Amino acid sequence: MLIQILNGLVYGGLLYVLAVGLVLIFGLRRVVNFAHGSLFMIGAYVGYTVTAVAGFWAGLIASVCVLTAIGAALDRFVFRPLQDEDPIVTMLVTFGLLLVLEDAARTIWGKEFLTVQPPAILSGVVHLAGTSFPVYRLAVIGAAILVAGGLSLWLRFSRVGLYVRASSVDPLTTGMQGVDTDRLSAMVVAIGAGLAGLSGTISAPLVALSPSMGGSILIDSFVVVVTGGLGSFTGAFIAAMVIGQLHNLGVVFVPAAASMIPLVLMVLVLIWRPGGLVKAGA
Amino acid sequence: MTLLSLRNIDAYYGRAQILHGVSLDVAAGESVAILGRNGVGKTTIVNACLGVATVRQGRVAFNGRDIGRIRHFTAARAGIAVVPQGRRIVPGLTVKDNLLLGGAVNRKGPWTLPTVFELFPVLRERAEVAGTALSGGQQQMLAIGRALMANPDLLVLDEPSEGLAPVIVDGLAETLQALARTGTAILLIEQNFGLVHRVAERYYVLSKGSIVEAGWLAGLSMETLKKHVAV
Repeated sequence: MLIQILNGLVYGGLLYVLAVGLVLIFGLRRVVNFAHGSLFMIGAYVGYTVTAVAGFWAGLIASVCVLTAIGAALDRFVFRPLQDEDPIVTMLVTFGLLLVLEDAARTIWGKEFLTVQPPAILSGVVHLAGTSFPVYRLAVIGAAILVAGGLSLWLRFSRVGLYVRASSVDPLTTGMQGVDTDRLSAMVVAIGAGLAGLSGTISAPLVALSPSMGGSILIDSFVVVVTGGLGSFTGAFIAAMVIGQLHNLGVVFVPAAASMIPLVLMVLVLIWRPGGLVKAGA
Repeated sequence: MTLLSLRNIDAYYGRAQILHGVSLDVAAGESVAILGRNGVGKTTIVNACLGVATVRQGRVAFNGRDIGRIRHFTAARAGIAVVPQGRRIVPGLTVKDNLLLGGAVNRKGPWTLPTVFELFPVLRERAEVAGTALSGGQQQMLAIGRALMANPDLLVLDEPSEGLAPVIVDGLAETLQALARTGTAILLIEQNFGLVHRVAERYYVLSKGSIVEAGWLAGLSMETLKKHVAV
């Protein structure tokens, strides 16, 4: 059972790192970014490519840097020009981007499944309660905790974090105080995309890489964002951990219904609290 | 010296024209009121200065610089701080965070967190409480404190007495009088003539998007008030 709980934490951690990027982007740009799953996938492939020539850690750094740059470009050339359009227009454009990026990955890296080995330092196992558990999986949990803690500290105690929290609930008033909300949004979209790159790369040793790998985790990430409360960082963390556990226990005990469980949870939460578990800004 | 100058501006939201050839001036250190009924375009004057409403004709200048095409975040940097209608306290932020947000422009001046707390001691007592949990009067203090944190040359207040009890409006008038004495220019957009009378020196009356009368407050006639302001 301990192993199942730890595996749930691993999936929850990956979900959180990906979903918090969606929360950031939705908060600042009010964009439901369907391309986020593709950013996760591109992150994994960039990590794979650089890992092959320079090792895992170089792959991780390169992936975060490349995806951060893609995020900045995405904001400058897609989200900002479309910010006054109907949200459905931006949503459709991000859906189109998802298809374009998937095709681009198929062209560059092919259709075959690819694998990435974890770094040597994290490749062993630890013995817990009479059974073994991969060190790499524990490291993924640690990375998610670091990201959650780092983001929380940044948002709570830094000036820029204050502006991000303010702008995610009232961009007009935040701008009226002299905060350049366009630059702030560009930075936040870049960070969100960088987190998708991080999530993609750290998940690479756990899954097989394919151009469509972003699809299923994107759906779970949307479930996390909606269940946690649109725009809420705390809500996203709670929802990611709960959905990670339910997903994993579902795979073990009711495999036929495993993929439905997060969706059922989301429906139940929305009936109980239509705004999600936690209000935006928290 | 003229601080804010609007010359024959036509302002729009989308294709709807709200202001028609509006001209007004606010000099450094003076207090000016814009009077008028609901829906005549008073808030649009603020929004024109912030770049929220589109100015298609005319010129908006602040400190001699054309600001007609600016974005809303550059107005604060130029020295215009706004206490918006409805106060717009940012949800999810504490009183202290709302005030710190007001200091985002980093303009040098007398207003800092301690001096704002000195002006409004209740805000110090409730510094860690959510700003939206304050009473209406306290929220108004917070909105004014937030605007002061920008150390503005011009403080624009849009219907600050809206929804406040008369005794709170009295306190608000005293605060604005004290601010005026410090040399901060004030543009007061208001329907409450009692407040205007205690704060402003000059006035403009707006009707259907146009300035129909202007002058010194001492010369404002009851007839004008009845015609353009009283409901």
